[in-house]
Amino acid sequence: MARTRRSRRTLTVIVLVIVSLSLISLDQNGRTHSLTSGIKSVANDIYAPLRQGIVDIINPIGHFFAGAFDYGSVQSQNEQLEKVIGQLRANQAERGFEQSQLRQLMALENLPFLQSLTTVPAQTVDLNLSNFTATITLNKGRADGVDVGYPVVGAGGLVGQVIQSFHHTCVVQLITDGQSKVGVTFGNQLTGIVDGQGPGNDLTLDLVPPHTPVYKGQILYTSGLQAATFPPGIPVATVESFHNEAGASQESITVDPAANLDELAYVDVVQWEPPT
Amino acid sequence: MTGRSMLRLAFVIFVVLMVQQTVMVAVRIDGYHPDLLWLLPITAALLDGPETGAIVGFWSGLAFDLTLPTPFGLSALVGCLLGYAVGSLTQAVDPRAAWLKPVAALTGSVGADMLFAVLGAILGQQQMVQVDFLTLFAVVGVASLVCVLPVSRLMRWALVGESNRRSLVTAQADSRLW
Repeated sequence: MARTRRSRRTLTVIVLVIVSLSLISLDQNGRTHSLTSGIKSVANDIYAPLRQGIVDIINPIGHFFAGAFDYGSVQSQNEQLEKVIGQLRANQAERGFEQSQLRQLMALENLPFLQSLTTVPAQTVDLNLSNFTATITLNKGRADGVDVGYPVVGAGGLVGQVIQSFHHTCVVQLITDGQSKVGVTFGNQLTGIVDGQGPGNDLTLDLVPPHTPVYKGQILYTSGLQAATFPPGIPVATVESFHNEAGASQESITVDPAANLDELAYVDVVQWEPPT
Repeated sequence: MTGRSMLRLAFVIFVVLMVQQTVMVAVRIDGYHPDLLWLLPITAALLDGPETGAIVGFWSGLAFDLTLPTPFGLSALVGCLLGYAVGSLTQAVDPRAAWLKPVAALTGSVGADMLFAVLGAILGQQQMVQVDFLTLFAVVGVASLVCVLPVSRLMRWALVGESNRRSLVTAQADSRLW
């Protein structure tokens, strides 16, 4: 009896592992990837409004408790005065937040590097849903003309690229993600690859021969070379530090993103596809 | 597993998924957030053995996979293996032991995150091993310790009536330990 139960248990686990591995291989396979992304898309269309509804309910409750704790701690000292100060601070913070958002929107209005490219303005609704990826979720999707592969820019430069597009949302892989690689050009027709090193880590500039002249603050632009996944001329990063190690096959260069990736409330999705 | 248990289980997975995606992703320490997903197979395995742990791990992982940018099926695979491992390793342990849930939550969550990252890297997602593992493990471990009790209560409710070994421990007896 115990043996039968053990055999059944083992069989169940083996079947589940095989199904999981099959799903992974379907997702990894280029031809069947559309199947898994389709399933994800349908699930996202159902899940996104539910999630947004819960966020809309939770946020005011969170704000209420946060306000109550702050207010309670100062009330014992001087209730009336602190109330006024609290209101002033709230107004100021609110105005500061609005000004910050306005500043970001204004900055997106005239991005010089976009020239005649058409864009879809979008708002960030989520940041890094997984601990292992550097991604953001935007409130625009296929219904708004946003497709997989489109570049995403913010004030200052390149933010990333759309890797999943659902009906009304999309997921953007940031240039800091470990999977992100951006072909760049700098100086006198020099080229390299800006390589993401994962969330919280510095970007590196790879494939640059030793002793190539670079300087701190030098701006790197998307190269737009053949088969490039970004249009040319978008600022990607600035050189932060560099050094040459003896015997190394390339110069060791650390770069900072040109766009402020800490302020991504609003971004522009560029409706651009690589020329075929 | 009965039909009623399945419905309850689906509801519990949905609730935990929503809490994860609305509350937990906002709780960030040094860029990392708690991960409640692994608590589902861990608590299921502690309550009802390795088979239920593996089944719950698979379905909860699959539900989370629908919302994550990581390879589809990876969370399901790790969840399934985690549930089976926790259930198998704790079979000889007295289920009323006070240390069982916190230790299983801490080691299970950290181990699952490590396995998730390594399998992701093997599948070509090299960035998954380029994270600050110490901080990640600290955040996920502490959050799992804090959340294992409520998730365990939810799972007990979902699996009520299941006939395996762990369910023989009455809710009343177990609750005294907490």
